[in-house]
Amino acid sequence: MSARDEQPLLSVRNLVIEFTTRYGPVRAVDGISFDVYPNETLGIVGESGCGKTVTGLSLLRLIPSPPGRIVRGEILLQGRDLTRLSEDEMQILRGDEISMIFQEPMTALNPVLTVGTQMVDVLTRHRKLTRKQARVVAIDMLSKVGIPVPNKRIDEYPHEMSGGMRQRVMIAMALSCSPKLLIADEPTTALDVTTQAQVLEQIVKLQDEFHMAVILITHDLGVVAETCQRALVMYCGEVMEVADIESLFERPRHPYSRGLLDSIPKLREEKLAELPIIPGMVPDLMHLPPGCRFGDRCSRATDECRLQRPQLDTSATLRNAVACFRPLD
Amino acid sequence: MDVVKYAIRKLVGGIPLILGVTFVSFLLMVYFGPDLTFEMLGKNPTPEQIAEVRKELGYDRPFLVRYSQYLKELATLDFGLSDSTGEPVSSMLIRSIPISLALVTPGFILGNLLGVLLALVAAYHRSGWIDKAIMGFSVVGMSISFLIVIIAFQILLSSSYGLNLFPVRGWNVHSLYDYVMYVTVPTLASVFVALGYNTRFYRAVIVEEMTRDHVRTARAFGIRPGKLLYKHILKNSAIPIITRIMFSIPLVIVSGSLLIESYFGIPGVGKVTFDAITTGDQPVLKAVVGLTAVLFVITLLVTDILYRAVDPRVSLK
Amino acid sequence: MSAVTEVDSQMPDVNEHHESIWGKALYKFRRDRTGMLGLGIVLIYFIAALGVWFGIWGTEWSDVEGPKWGAMSAEHWFGTNIIGQDIFQRSLYSTKTAFEIGLIVAVLSTLLGALLGALAGFFSGTWIDAIILWLKGVLDSIPFYLFVAAVAFALKGNPWAMHVAMVSTFWTTTGRLVRGEVIKLRNFEFVEASRAIGVPQVTIIFRHIVPNTFHILLVQATIVFVAAIKSEVILSFLGLGVQDGVSWGLMISESTMEVLAGFFNNFAWASIFLFVLVMAFNMFSDALQDALDPKKVAES
Repeated sequence: MSARDEQPLLSVRNLVIEFTTRYGPVRAVDGISFDVYPNETLGIVGESGCGKTVTGLSLLRLIPSPPGRIVRGEILLQGRDLTRLSEDEMQILRGDEISMIFQEPMTALNPVLTVGTQMVDVLTRHRKLTRKQARVVAIDMLSKVGIPVPNKRIDEYPHEMSGGMRQRVMIAMALSCSPKLLIADEPTTALDVTTQAQVLEQIVKLQDEFHMAVILITHDLGVVAETCQRALVMYCGEVMEVADIESLFERPRHPYSRGLLDSIPKLREEKLAELPIIPGMVPDLMHLPPGCRFGDRCSRATDECRLQRPQLDTSATLRNAVACFRPLD
Repeated sequence: MDVVKYAIRKLVGGIPLILGVTFVSFLLMVYFGPDLTFEMLGKNPTPEQIAEVRKELGYDRPFLVRYSQYLKELATLDFGLSDSTGEPVSSMLIRSIPISLALVTPGFILGNLLGVLLALVAAYHRSGWIDKAIMGFSVVGMSISFLIVIIAFQILLSSSYGLNLFPVRGWNVHSLYDYVMYVTVPTLASVFVALGYNTRFYRAVIVEEMTRDHVRTARAFGIRPGKLLYKHILKNSAIPIITRIMFSIPLVIVSGSLLIESYFGIPGVGKVTFDAITTGDQPVLKAVVGLTAVLFVITLLVTDILYRAVDPRVSLK
Repeated sequence: MSAVTEVDSQMPDVNEHHESIWGKALYKFRRDRTGMLGLGIVLIYFIAALGVWFGIWGTEWSDVEGPKWGAMSAEHWFGTNIIGQDIFQRSLYSTKTAFEIGLIVAVLSTLLGALLGALAGFFSGTWIDAIILWLKGVLDSIPFYLFVAAVAFALKGNPWAMHVAMVSTFWTTTGRLVRGEVIKLRNFEFVEASRAIGVPQVTIIFRHIVPNTFHILLVQATIVFVAAIKSEVILSFLGLGVQDGVSWGLMISESTMEVLAGFFNNFAWASIFLFVLVMAFNMFSDALQDALDPKKVAES
């Protein structure tokens, strides 16, 4: 665990990302702030459409530009503001200091190139290695992620591997240049439960070994519970709560977090008549209420909630904060 | 060895197709075709003369016999003599095919090369004004009839109302200079029209590849745009692009040359075919149709093999 | 989930009552200005064609009463051709010819393509499919112009030979697309469900599956319309096209010699009429494709 007064590795402040759609401009991410500390695993949790993927992509400035753009905000990687770097500088950073892995292992790798070619490409891009030397490193990485017979596998094509194995290849590729930060966007969603567990285990083990921070983006609270030290909960493009795992799961402060946790089906002593759900629907991004975005669905909402947007209360630190006028504590 | 076995299997599989094409064409053109009997004779032919001519032309034999005779000719590449000129069909073809190739090849290569380049530019500047301009130009190219383009270019380049730089028609080629003179106007016309269709198609393919997940992955790992373009976009676009180029080959050689050659009076395969159509010259028609069918099947085969070279997902099964 | 689809999934459904592909398509199409312009122009041509059909105008197309190669004048708006016929009248009459060819070929080839494509797709893997595919291969391999010539011979110079030949070859692309779509649809659960209830196969094909291909059929029909009109031009030049009446193709073929002598009216006006209609139709067809499916569902 990191010390309380350690400097964050990554600091995001007031990030706003807008998309131009045929119905007008839409803010997928509307002023979020969070910190990531070295060697920790931070989960970003929320329903589909809450902006978590967009957030992940924005850290590497991979938002497709048209139609999207970063309107304002800062992304500070050890003091450097990534929003101000040139595209060339970003290209040097991607895959080297920050790596990202994606959800669909089926399509994330190029089907007409061997796994080895793709890995060697990344290595030779960021390190002064010959292709032969890079190949050796790649084989080593493959074995680190638990792929058997890596010297044979390296010459295979993606379609010759299972989904789980492909995801491991992605992880190997992402870690091959020892990044400081790994962003994993729903890495296990497309995999079956057993493979999920294996891949997550792999990520956790490697994180330790490589001393890197991990941002794990997911909608699955179970995954968060298993792998993260802290998590932030997003809703409608905003951060509702950020807390360390035990606090979040045992004493959620935001009503939305509470609702999410309550709706996980679990074994209880007394059987419930119905599975608890959060009433109502996510507001559409073109017609947002002036106040708290969760207001309509919140049983604790007051007029103040509906008219004023609650900000993340940073009086403590951004390690643990909640954006609510009437938090649950 | 695998490749050879595969090729043989595919060729054999193409036989029903060849049979089908030759059968249908034979039925339509030869069986229902014009009866040249009376052309060959003078006035008031006697029944014996008629019978003799018919025997010579082979009209008196039953259909299936004539058809199998045709297949034999195709297999041995011996098509007999032209009904209208008396020249051996094979030598007509040997003479005219190289001319057609010399005529259509520059246009074909340029049309596709430029098409891919323009498509790349358009795709790179997607939704920008360059893209819109290129696409606008494509739609225009697609909307003007080939004939109109030919005539227009003729006016502009070969007549006294325009630049008068190039010969109006014909093919009097004895040197490289002659070749350039005679081939330019037809080439410009075909490139203009081909670009319309090609650019649109290639742009669609390239855009589709550009938006694929693996391109995003490569970007996420910092791969440089140039390498991205080549290794991830073009290589993957190769399959549909190759398919299209390959399949347009039989089309371009026969149909394309037909029009250009008839118009410009160039003695290639197209013109030979056209003349054969108007005079009802059966041996020539039989030869052209049969060979086209074979060409088509071979094209299918070669395309298949090319797939394998470019896409490892396809297997030789 | 990609960034864009994540955002897109939050977008409101503007036409809340029209969840179908058609409702959305209509909304999108109406906002596409190029497409609407194209449609407008096509309609103008169509009205012109109707007028000729009902004898309201364009009736003097074959009258030989003007000067040879007369210039454009108040009496002969576009001038006259080599035998003194009014070019404007002929151009106008040709709109009827064009629509006749375009509509007949488009409708018939689309129907044929839908029928054969649906059968091939539904029974894919069986001999029915094999035969239809073989037929498609054969027709695709015969060079188009040769085929038209052959059909013209076989039908002994019947003016409908051209239409027959076109329909016989233009159905193949539609057929291929429909077959692909039907194969996809066949695996959907609603087909399984219908079978389980005992709905007869024919009904399944034509009542349930084919209607889901209408968007493909519509787009293909527009593409074939354009192809038919353009093919007629070249066929008429080769002497295999329109036999009676006049068409832009015939006008252009007539003009091939005279342009080198400096008489451009015939050529220019026929070309302009043809180009504008084809271009407008292409714009309309494009907008239609975009509206029905952002990924183009058809091929040219």
